[in-house]
Amino acid sequence: MIKNKYKILLVEDESNIRNLVATMLETSGYQALIAESCSAAKTVYNSYLPDLIILDLGLPDMDGMHFLEYVRRDSPTPIIVLSARSTEKDKVTALDMGANDYVTKPFSSAELLARVRSVLRSNRYSSVEGRLPGGRFTLRDLEIDYDARQVFISGAEIKLTQTEYNIIALLSENCGKMMTYSAIIKAIWGGCAQDGSIKKLQVNMANIRKKFGAKLGESNYIINELGVGYRMNAERE
Amino acid sequence: MKKTSGYIKDTLITIILLCMAFGISLLFQYIFEVQEHITTIFVFAVFLISLLTNGYVYGILASFCGTIVVNYAFTFPFFAVNFLIPINLISGIIMIIVSVLTSALTTKLKRHEAMKAESEKECMRANLLRAVSHDLRTPLTTIYGSSTTLLDKCSDMTEAQKNKIVEGIKEDSEWLMRMVENLLSITRIDSGEVKIIKTPTVLEELIDSVVLKFKKRYPGQKVEIEIPDEMVIVPMDAILIEQVIVNILENAVQHAEGMTRLTLRVFTLGSQAIFEIKDNGCGIDPKRLETIFSGYYASKDDFTDSQKRNAGIGLSVCATIIKAHCGDIKAENIKTGGAVFRFALDTEGNINDQE
Repeated sequence: MIKNKYKILLVEDESNIRNLVATMLETSGYQALIAESCSAAKTVYNSYLPDLIILDLGLPDMDGMHFLEYVRRDSPTPIIVLSARSTEKDKVTALDMGANDYVTKPFSSAELLARVRSVLRSNRYSSVEGRLPGGRFTLRDLEIDYDARQVFISGAEIKLTQTEYNIIALLSENCGKMMTYSAIIKAIWGGCAQDGSIKKLQVNMANIRKKFGAKLGESNYIINELGVGYRMNAERE
Repeated sequence: MKKTSGYIKDTLITIILLCMAFGISLLFQYIFEVQEHITTIFVFAVFLISLLTNGYVYGILASFCGTIVVNYAFTFPFFAVNFLIPINLISGIIMIIVSVLTSALTTKLKRHEAMKAESEKECMRANLLRAVSHDLRTPLTTIYGSSTTLLDKCSDMTEAQKNKIVEGIKEDSEWLMRMVENLLSITRIDSGEVKIIKTPTVLEELIDSVVLKFKKRYPGQKVEIEIPDEMVIVPMDAILIEQVIVNILENAVQHAEGMTRLTLRVFTLGSQAIFEIKDNGCGIDPKRLETIFSGYYASKDDFTDSQKRNAGIGLSVCATIIKAHCGDIKAENIKTGGAVFRFALDTEGNINDQE
């Protein structure tokens, strides 16, 4: 049994939050590994190779971003940042450095566990079927045929423009990962994000939402985070 | 940018006033053929320059220029600079003294005014801090009391009792979370003297985010949404405006008794986007209507525990945020029952024709 559990490394210096999150993870069937500082995290990371890392940014010895950088140097291990810093700039910086998602404190257990499931699941997509040519992507009623470049909802084809399809394909390949404006713009149009290109992205997203028949506040498939970016949502939150 | 334009303005004032003084002096000399008053004219010009410009530099520069010009053009020997004549020297010194004294006086005055504004702000902040710390006590009492009770008396309690206590912890920590969010919003505006940073925000995405957030907090409360079909882009600090709308919606849920419909409507009027949050509850007490947005800051010592949860910090924060966006927020009662909150922000115009 224990062998099949996902190993999650929790890096957090605040002992109360550490206990809380560890309990939350363990009662949900994950194995929690614990580190209180950046240096301890490196040791645990190297000896256990966890499936997921939950990382607090304000650590006693070094900023959590150092550890993020350290892991991203040679591994795509998903990382969820857990932080009290809540401005858009903090989020964008962490996401552009390679974090998969960003949860701000205070959070509810349901919220954090949903993100954990979502990230673990998306990692499975991209490593097994998602990116392969000829692969198909399914998420509830949404289906994407990467070969034919077609998108279906409940079996009916949704007619998308080239750009719109590219955006959807990109988000689906990174399902569960919060994609910043600049990351999407770089992947779709190349070059860096200026005000103009962000607007171009927003116009395309508005069209996609319309074609998908998305209702306001219903978090269907794509979540928008104001001033940060978009995320395809593997878990209904 | 503001600084450079200030320098340019001050320099222009100095040059224009000096030229005027020179022109008037020439006129005096030409018409009345007197020279005694010319120094007075320049002293007056220097006085005005010191009064109208920032700092000492312009006034002193002007008095030097004035001294040299008077010396050169209007006093004996004409068209030569000669400071050996004591009366010329004295008039020059007088001009410099006038300029320094005036500059010192105006600078002091300006500083005094800035200090007054600062102390008013400080007073508001102190009021806020006092009110907040007072407000924080109640939820903390619940949380602290509940958790200690749970730890000590766990075995003596029934499942239902335990659940009720934990529910209390959850409710009061949610209240604390909202309070902290509102406080953070204020610091976002207050940090530094810089105005808020506005980014072009898609209205639809803003409303989507608002509704999602609101639904998470009040799953039972339905909100009817009406927004324009076309894409509207509004430059704003999206996180703050989101806070405003959520606060107003929340206010309706908590205070509009008997409410069955809650509507969030946004429409464009000219170059503005009008946000309207309407409920059909009990309306707002007319006595409170005037101070509804300033209540929290203004509260002196007369607030009691029962008032606490009603007052709330939410609407005061709304007013602060909208003010920082150079907008206006209003609340009024609807004749047919209920209340409506309205605020307007400038849009960026229709962007479809840009593509």
